[in-house]
Amino acid sequence: MLETSVEPVGSGRASLECDDLRVTLAGAAGEVDILNGVRLSVASGDFVSILGVSGSGKTTLLRVLAGLQQASGGQVLCNGIPVDGPPQGVVTVFQDYAHSLLPWRSVRRNVALGIEDRLSKSECAQRVDEALEMVDLQRAADEYPWRLSGGMQQRVQIARAIAMRPSVLLMDEPFGALDAMTKASLQDQLQQVQALTNTTIIFVTHDVEEAVYLSDRVVVLQGRPAAVGLSLEVELERPRRQVATKELPEYLKLRHEVYAALGQASAQ
Amino acid sequence: MTAVLRRINVVGIAAMFSVLVLWELSVRTGLVTFEYIPPPTRVVAGLGEIISSGELTTNLVHTLTAAVVGWAIACVVGVLAGLALGLSRATWTYSMASVDALRALPIVAFVPVAVLLLGFTMEMEIVVAFYAALWPIVLNTVAGLRSVEVRLLEVGRVLRLGHRGVLWKLRLPAATPFIIVGMRLGLSVSLVLTLVSEMVGNPAGLGFALLQKAQSLQPEQMFAYIVVIGVAGIVLNAVLMALARLLFPGQMAASGESA
Repeated sequence: MLETSVEPVGSGRASLECDDLRVTLAGAAGEVDILNGVRLSVASGDFVSILGVSGSGKTTLLRVLAGLQQASGGQVLCNGIPVDGPPQGVVTVFQDYAHSLLPWRSVRRNVALGIEDRLSKSECAQRVDEALEMVDLQRAADEYPWRLSGGMQQRVQIARAIAMRPSVLLMDEPFGALDAMTKASLQDQLQQVQALTNTTIIFVTHDVEEAVYLSDRVVVLQGRPAAVGLSLEVELERPRRQVATKELPEYLKLRHEVYAALGQASAQ
Repeated sequence: MTAVLRRINVVGIAAMFSVLVLWELSVRTGLVTFEYIPPPTRVVAGLGEIISSGELTTNLVHTLTAAVVGWAIACVVGVLAGLALGLSRATWTYSMASVDALRALPIVAFVPVAVLLLGFTMEMEIVVAFYAALWPIVLNTVAGLRSVEVRLLEVGRVLRLGHRGVLWKLRLPAATPFIIVGMRLGLSVSLVLTLVSEMVGNPAGLGFALLQKAQSLQPEQMFAYIVVIGVAGIVLNAVLMALARLLFPGQMAASGESA
């Protein structure tokens, strides 16, 4: 084992930042610049959404922040330490839950995957129960994930991430493959989880409503190669409500601004 | 218990029995007059004869021992070799041409070689059974290790499982259903090749008994041996699958082989 603890390094002041980040990927037609000069700083406990049109490089940005993709230039700092591979205290939740869960493990054992070797049996069991309770999955604990609905499977992945007690949670379009009802209920569950754990969340999505509804800040990627085009503070009161919040004039104004920035992005 | 009962195919068994009855009737009524195809009741009588003389037990134990011992060694060696090939690029690059060449040769062609090297012995049979089972096990282990999805390996990195964790928690469990398939294929070919090595090599066991009964014009007993060989194959496979479901319930359920 490399570490004995999964507690955040900077204990409570976790943040993720990058400056002048550049990413070039090898495509079929040679090298393609995906990101150029991305600058981002996320304070501890913040909920930041990254928006962009399809193919704008938002997933690439998240993968670089996650340490799954090497940057071609610039660097990512996690708690002040340069990221070189997935950093401790940072966990990624992928969009394709079906491929991200271990089909041969029960829900409970899927959630235990990241902590079972680092904690005692009773501590691990306690953490797993806690995480399952947060996403309201206790009753499905002994099922195989492939027996569950898409929304429930994604909750298993979220529970697995929060069982790690990460300081930063990176989410790549986590609700992108779910229907509207499930999506709304998972958004509210994620709000609750964040309120309880005060985890920093960086959330990639192409859904403007979702981004404004959930975030403290919405970041829009623009241009090709992409850079941060708009960074918008969202100061709506929490907890937010699916109907009431979305009827507030401030919400509508913010939504409008983000759509405008996206429209500009797609026009380029 | 209900799960076991549900697995029993009543209609299939009924169909099989009707065929047997039809066979019995057509021989008895003289519809077919092959001298050396006895009706099922005579085969049952033949089975009684070889059981009471004790030769069946001796032959069955001999053949199954050779086949299963050879197969078991192949399981250990095959999985280890598969791991080496599947996990190390260098081993793969250096060995795959030889592996492909060797497995392309019909295994039967090695029986005379084994006889030449080891004589008319049970060791010879074991070596043949081992060699026969080795290839499906090696190749399925490699395929299984390759089957792990890229996303799952990323999950392993994100959760910081480390190399050992990735191997034990992701790669091997993902490969398990493939390895089981390799072992099942290996078990059936090692039984077949053991029989062949008894027919053309070591004069012992079920294979030789089959040959002997044919040559001494005792079709009832010969057919009884054929039935025994068929049932032995089915039972071996069933035992292996039951073990696999017991040891790896999650993997077997996930791959559709539910308990």
